[in-house]
Amino acid sequence: MKRVLVALLMVALAATMFVSCAKETAKSVEFIMNNGAEPQTLDPSKISGVPEHKIYMALFEGLVINDPQTSLAKPGIAESWTFSPDNTTITFKLRKSTWSDGTPITAQTVVDSWHRNLNPETGAEYAYMVNMVVKGAEDYNSGTAPKETVGIKAIDDYTFQVELIGPLPYAVDMMAHYAFAILPMHVINKLGDEWVKPGNIVGNGPFTLKEWKPQESLTVVANPKYWDAKSVKLSAITFLPIDDNLTAYNKYKAGEIDWSHGVPLALIDEVKLRPDYQVAPQVGTYYYIFNVTRKPFTDVRVRKALGMALNMSELVDKVTKGGQLATNAMVPAMAGYTPIKGNGYNVEEAKKLLAEAGFPGGVGFPKVTLLYNTSEGHKRIAEWAQENWKKNLGIEVALLNQEWATFLDTRQVSHNFDFTRAGWVGDYLDPNTFLDMFLTGSGLNDGLYSNPKYDELIKKAATMPAGSARMDTLRQAEEIMITQDQAVIPIYHYVEQDLIDLTKWEGWYANPLGSHHWKFIGPKK
Amino acid sequence: MSKFIVRRLLSIIPTLFVIVTLSFFLIRLAPGGPFSREKKIPQEVLQNILKKYNMDQPLINQYFKYMGDILRFDLGPSYTKKDHTVNELIGTAFPVSLHLGAMALGVALFLGISVGIISALNQNKWPDYAAMSVAVLGISIPLFVIGPLLMLVFALKLKWLPTSGWIGSRAGWATVILPTMTLMFPYFAYIARLSRGSIIEVARSDYIRTARAKGLKESVVIWKHILKGALLPVVTYLGPAFSGIVIGSVVVEQIFVVPGIGRIFVQSALNRDYTVIMGDVIVYSIILISANFLVDVLYSLLDPRISYK
Amino acid sequence: MPVLNKKGDDAVNEFNQYVKPVSLWADAWKRLRKNRMAVIGMWVVGVYLFITFGAGLLPFYSYTEQELLHANLPPSFKPAGSVAIVKLENRRVELANAIATNSRDDLKRDLERVNNEIDQIKFEISRDPIHNRVHILGTDSLGRDMLARTIYGGQISLLIGIVGTLTAGLIGIVLGALGGYLGGWLDNIISRFVDIMYSLPYMLVVIIIMAMFSDASNTTVVGIPLNILVLFFAIALVSWLTMSRIVRGQVISLKNSEFVEAARSMGAGSGRIIFKHLLPNTVGIIIVYSTLQFPSFIMSESFLSFLGLGVSAPYASWGTLVSEGVQGMQLYPWLLIVPATAMTLFLFAINFLGDGLRDALDPQSKNRN
Repeated sequence: MKRVLVALLMVALAATMFVSCAKETAKSVEFIMNNGAEPQTLDPSKISGVPEHKIYMALFEGLVINDPQTSLAKPGIAESWTFSPDNTTITFKLRKSTWSDGTPITAQTVVDSWHRNLNPETGAEYAYMVNMVVKGAEDYNSGTAPKETVGIKAIDDYTFQVELIGPLPYAVDMMAHYAFAILPMHVINKLGDEWVKPGNIVGNGPFTLKEWKPQESLTVVANPKYWDAKSVKLSAITFLPIDDNLTAYNKYKAGEIDWSHGVPLALIDEVKLRPDYQVAPQVGTYYYIFNVTRKPFTDVRVRKALGMALNMSELVDKVTKGGQLATNAMVPAMAGYTPIKGNGYNVEEAKKLLAEAGFPGGVGFPKVTLLYNTSEGHKRIAEWAQENWKKNLGIEVALLNQEWATFLDTRQVSHNFDFTRAGWVGDYLDPNTFLDMFLTGSGLNDGLYSNPKYDELIKKAATMPAGSARMDTLRQAEEIMITQDQAVIPIYHYVEQDLIDLTKWEGWYANPLGSHHWKFIGPKK
Repeated sequence: MSKFIVRRLLSIIPTLFVIVTLSFFLIRLAPGGPFSREKKIPQEVLQNILKKYNMDQPLINQYFKYMGDILRFDLGPSYTKKDHTVNELIGTAFPVSLHLGAMALGVALFLGISVGIISALNQNKWPDYAAMSVAVLGISIPLFVIGPLLMLVFALKLKWLPTSGWIGSRAGWATVILPTMTLMFPYFAYIARLSRGSIIEVARSDYIRTARAKGLKESVVIWKHILKGALLPVVTYLGPAFSGIVIGSVVVEQIFVVPGIGRIFVQSALNRDYTVIMGDVIVYSIILISANFLVDVLYSLLDPRISYK
Repeated sequence: MPVLNKKGDDAVNEFNQYVKPVSLWADAWKRLRKNRMAVIGMWVVGVYLFITFGAGLLPFYSYTEQELLHANLPPSFKPAGSVAIVKLENRRVELANAIATNSRDDLKRDLERVNNEIDQIKFEISRDPIHNRVHILGTDSLGRDMLARTIYGGQISLLIGIVGTLTAGLIGIVLGALGGYLGGWLDNIISRFVDIMYSLPYMLVVIIIMAMFSDASNTTVVGIPLNILVLFFAIALVSWLTMSRIVRGQVISLKNSEFVEAARSMGAGSGRIIFKHLLPNTVGIIIVYSTLQFPSFIMSESFLSFLGLGVSAPYASWGTLVSEGVQGMQLYPWLLIVPATAMTLFLFAINFLGDGLRDALDPQSKNRN
């Protein structure tokens, strides 16, 4: 009996030792994040959202990646690159790297991948990013030219060359975007659309797909074949699709997740005090669009009066409170671009303009409706604006909310609104992304604004080389659209709001594009 | 009886056909579509996407193709969850909702009928008032309040349970407790109220008076006669309740991040993901129709007065 | 044998008036008044209706007027100015702590602003009467009076409850009873129609109805905004489905009972049997079910307001107030507790009233008081 006991004890002891040993050697660091939504797809050619982008950065790597601090290009699959003297051609030197199944990645893989992204049959929503910089891409993407006309080629196995549509020094920074992804063509050619299914999918990023339980979680584990596997610090990442802000926040507070993007608006006073609350300015603007074809907004004085009656600083300080930046300009501050001042907050001037337009003290002002898409935040801002127009100008504004798809249809297709809420976040750092949508007849010009002078300036800027002269032209255009015509009322610039404990994790930096590459993130020593 | 069952079973087919046809055309009337984006998809790209899903064809052709597909139990690809077919999405989500719903309904039935009996036997005395107050609370406080409240108390303050997630997550089976308790609440309240009302009603009826007059033991009267007659409204209620609880736990699934079919249903409606909406409608109507069918059959078993000729 | 007054058997009530044989109502009223809980319930419902719909005539603060200096004030009988100062001073301590312990220098701007606000209120408190307001139930995130918002919020919620209950009653009872009693093809058609209505994706149906009446917020029909009418329609569309099933089930179970056989053998027509004999015997379950459904109508309003139906901001409803209150309950519990209590109290009253009515209208208890 005694012997049996001793034997049992020994086994138990051995077992515990084995377990503790296993713990020692594996040193597994699992990271759990709230991704905000269920990913729509893992196929980089078909991605169009932020949650998918986060997973893309774990599974795939393009020629370059975003530097976690500056968002500028950092070597990825390309170990270096050189511009031609006139800045119209980039030559990438690829490193020797492989897919997670061991197949090597060559310059031809890159060519084939970009062809797939541009192939009209693929239906890539973000192919336009490639069209904006790569010569011949637009023609192939719209089906008017064969793929051979696209300005990309493999010079040898590890040298890849891109011809640009002009002198675009920032093009290389854009190439960190998933529209320029490198794809496992050997798997895609074999399996077709099935290639992204768990079990089939092959990647070249720091992690590979382990498990995807739809609506529940998606887990990736470190990829031993990744070219820089030794600097990857996490052993696994789990992405959770929590779309309820309150649940996500509670889950973070209970210590069940390590990183949560976005915070519950109603609890901002508490969130703000937390040491692990991270805020960073985002390249994005929140604004109201006037339908300039509808009375009384056909009158620029009325548009200006409504804009000048709102004190945006009061809004961001006392209503939204999340660190948003009050503004009267459409384009946020960017390298080389000083934001315009806009018309500012001036109730006296607003009253005067309204009286000139024929509505002294708001008398006789027709009933107008402000449209917004259903959300607690938009509602609160609209209520604040409504109250201020009433208080400052004597105008009654009705509010109307619609769910997202209906809202988009009203705003973009039927234009059946007086004025409406909108938000725009730049995909890359250039003022033009905020301005060219207001061109006459542009598909994104929801307020039907039109000014030939503005169109001329924007089109002129498009042909100018990068530099301060181009920025000045864009700035002049913005002055016309905002200060002179008040086609929209800019309200604030967005901020990224994140919860992550930076005393526990390192390698995570607040940055303007909100792009946090996984290979840099790890536990703090 | 068997003729009745056969007739009812046969009537399911035309009903389903009407539901599918009506929904197919109806949902496309809603503003927007699966590919509307704030940053619009370029026209050429959009054309190719539509072609891929046969959406460039006339609607009537799409309809016939769809009907052909569902006869082969193929619900098609999802337009927004591009890596999954509708069969896959529903196939993984439905068992989860069924699981959660069955647990919640089970708890609700047990608690509800017990409370209903206690109340009815003590009509207008304090146990009755207390029980009915809890029941009224259960119906008046919406799930989107009960859920976060329970989460706040049991997960954040007491730290007994995980905040959210499902069985597959690190916390495992403990995750099912909060969603079940939340989802159970209104159903418990309904069942308690309904059973109390009908027990009181039945207790006064002639056949119970006869039973008492015959000198049967009180416990026999209650358990054998009253309960059997009184469960009828509860059973009627269970038809829609079952189908509702299985597919309608959107709020609970959202709050507790349960990977169920309710979330898919709402997301697909908001995203105008037509094929997924249709899949949900089909699953839901099959459940609903068969639940109501079972209820009709149960009627005749529970109530000796009903017969289907 | 349930006793129903026979034809021609003229009765006299306590006021010595001749009444029709169906003295169910007078009789019921007499019994209802004896039920204390039901009477209390009735009073509460009455008071609610009076305050809610008479709110415009009563001395409440505006439910729209914002005062951002008074945002998120807890319930208090003290003047808003001094409550705000206490709140801001607490905030100052919190901010100072966060800056000191969490090295959050970015909060210094907030601290400065809080100090400015305190100075501003202290300066204005004796000059501006706005700081003398008393918000006994606190204020919301835009500094609006919660009491006023809850009272005005009751208007749409009560209306929705009433509309839902009425349509459920009218359509549901009639169709359920007809189908259940007559059976055959009619029952089959009604039942299948109910199945189809249940199965259609309700959310999209509502979105489509909305789209048909787009730009609804500016249009009114007989003084009611169109999108409130659409809301009533959306509620009415589905309110009656479950009710018709319940009634149908009850009627089926009763239609072969002795008293119905008796009526039939005396030559009563189908209409008479349904309305005079069957429905009075199911009235109990109908009332219980109606009171059960009442809260679900109020809540469906908050769901439909997500789609843009119903009242538009800054007007509120109990449903929207409660759903907003939940979001901030960890910090500002009164934003949840105030509207939730107002709503629950009313629903309690409705339930006790419903129970009383059920007992009073029950034909079986008729001859025993």
